[in-house]
Amino acid sequence: MSAAFSKRMLSIKANVHHTVAFEQYLWLASLAGIFLVWEATVRFGMVPESKLPSFTATVATLVASLLDKGFLMRVLQSFLNLTGGILVALATALPLAIFAGLRNRFDSTMTPLIMLAGALPDIALLPVLVLWIGRGSAAAIAIAAFSAFFPMYFTIREGTKDIPKDLFHVAAVFNTSRADTFRKLILPAVSPQLFTGLRLAYDFVWEIVLAIEIFSGVTGIGSYISGAVEAGEVTQAFAAILAVGVLAIMIDRLVFGRAEKWIRRWMD
Amino acid sequence: MDQEVDGLSYQMELKNVYKEYGQTEESMPAIQDVSFALNRGEFACIVGPSGCGKSTLLRMAAGLDTPTAGEIQFCGEPVKGPHPKISMVFQSFALFPWRTVEGNVEYGLEAQRVPKAERIDSVEKYLDMVGLAGYSHLYPKQLSGGMKQRVGIARALAVDPDVILMDEAFSAIDEFTAETLREQVAEIHAETEKTFVLVTHNLVEAVELADKIIVLSARPARVKKIMNVDLERPRDRTHSEFIDAHKSIFALLKEELETKIARHRIKRIPEFEKLSDLEGHS
Repeated sequence: MSAAFSKRMLSIKANVHHTVAFEQYLWLASLAGIFLVWEATVRFGMVPESKLPSFTATVATLVASLLDKGFLMRVLQSFLNLTGGILVALATALPLAIFAGLRNRFDSTMTPLIMLAGALPDIALLPVLVLWIGRGSAAAIAIAAFSAFFPMYFTIREGTKDIPKDLFHVAAVFNTSRADTFRKLILPAVSPQLFTGLRLAYDFVWEIVLAIEIFSGVTGIGSYISGAVEAGEVTQAFAAILAVGVLAIMIDRLVFGRAEKWIRRWMD
Repeated sequence: MDQEVDGLSYQMELKNVYKEYGQTEESMPAIQDVSFALNRGEFACIVGPSGCGKSTLLRMAAGLDTPTAGEIQFCGEPVKGPHPKISMVFQSFALFPWRTVEGNVEYGLEAQRVPKAERIDSVEKYLDMVGLAGYSHLYPKQLSGGMKQRVGIARALAVDPDVILMDEAFSAIDEFTAETLREQVAEIHAETEKTFVLVTHNLVEAVELADKIIVLSARPARVKKIMNVDLERPRDRTHSEFIDAHKSIFALLKEELETKIARHRIKRIPEFEKLSDLEGHS
C-alpha cells in the first residue's frame, strides 16, 4: 500500500509540475509583446527618438553600459542603499513584531504608536533627515528602512499571532530552550509572512530609494537617470531604467522565488 | 495492577489538586481537590462533562501549568515543569508543518541533543510501530487526520517516556480511522507497558482502553468516582460486560450533566448571574 501510495503522490506531483512549468513562462510572451509594440512605435516614427529611444537602441546602450565602471558603481550604490535599508528594517521589525505577536500587553502599548508612525509621509521626512545627517547614502538608507519597517512589522506580527498555541505546548513538553523555540518554532512558523513582508517592502523601497536619489541628489542610479535626462541623453536614461528593472526581477526570482518554493512545499 | 509496584511509590499521583483562575475572593475554582494515583503501566481515562477542567488537569500533569494548591508527583517527585519522561499527544495533532514526518518524530530527541544517527533509528522504529513506515519524507499537509495523529503518537513515543498524556487524541479523527488507531494504541500500551492517561468525552473509548476510569464532576472538577475496568483485552464493544460498564459510567455522567443543565437554567435568574459569570469560561 505504501509503494502504491507514494507512486500516486509522485504522479500527482509530476502533473502539477507540468502545468506550473508551462504557466511559469507565460509572462515571457506578454513581455515580448510589449517590447515589440515599443520598437514599432519608435521605428514608424510615432514618437521622436529624442523623447523615446527604440527598444533595440536601449538594449544596446545597456549592454555597453554594463562595461562602464561608473554606471555599474551607480547601480551598486542604489542596490546597497536598498539592501541596507531593508536589513535595518528587518533587524528592528523582526524582534519587535514577534514580541508584539507573543505579548498582548506589549502589542497594545506599541502597535498603535507604530500605526501612527506608519501614517507619516515617508518622503516628506527626507528634508528633515537631510538636515540631520546630510545628503549622503545614510539619508537614503534611513528613509528606506523607515518605509520597509511597516509592511514587515505588520505581516510578521500577524504571523506570530497565528501560530497555534499547541505548537508552543509541544515545544514546552519537549523542553525546548528559548533560543530553540525561536529558531525551530517561531522563525519557521512566521517565515511565510516574513517573506510576504520582505517582498512588499522590497518593491516599495526600490521606488523610495530611486525617488530620493532623483530628487535629493544622493548618488545612485536615480541621480544617474535624472542627470542623463538633463543632458539630453534619453537612451542612457532608458538603459538605466531597464537595468533597474532587470536587477529587481533577478533578485525577486533568486531570493523570493526560492523562498516561495520552499514554503509551498509544506504550507497548505 | 491495582497494587503499588515495587512497594516504592505510584508512577503518578495527584494530591489535593486545586486550580483557580483569577485572584478575586469570590472566584470559583476550576478544579477542586482532585486526588488520584496511577500505577506504572496503567491505562487511565479521565472523563467528565465538557469544560469541567479535564484538559487543564492533563496540562498540569505535563508541567505546562501549575496547580494553585496541592501537588502532582511523578515517581515520588513533584512535577515542576515539563519532564523528559512525560510526553504528550494533542487533539489538534500539533505537528510542525514545515517539518517532514521524520522531522516531527525526531523533534523531542533533537531537543535532548541525541545524535542524528540514533534519532533516525528511533524514528524508524516508532513510525513502524504506528504503521507509518515509508512515510517519513512526506509533509503533514500530505497526510490524513488519522495519519497525522499517528505521527503525533510516534513523536510522543520517540523520547521513550514513562507516561504518555493524551488530550482528546482521537476526537478530531473520523470514527472509522479512530477505531483502528485506538486498537493500535491498545497494542502499543500492551507492548511497551508505559503509563497512558487519556482525557476524553467518549465513554465507549474510555471503556475500550482503560484499566481505570476517573469520572470528574461538572465544574468545579472533583473526582466523582474512580472505576476499575477489569475486562479482558482485546475488548469487545458488544460484550455484555462492556455494555454494563458503559452504562454505569453513562449514568454517573448523566447526573453531572443534569446538574450542569440545572445551573444553566439558574443563570437566567438575575440573582444568580454573578455566579454564572464566574463559571463563564467553560
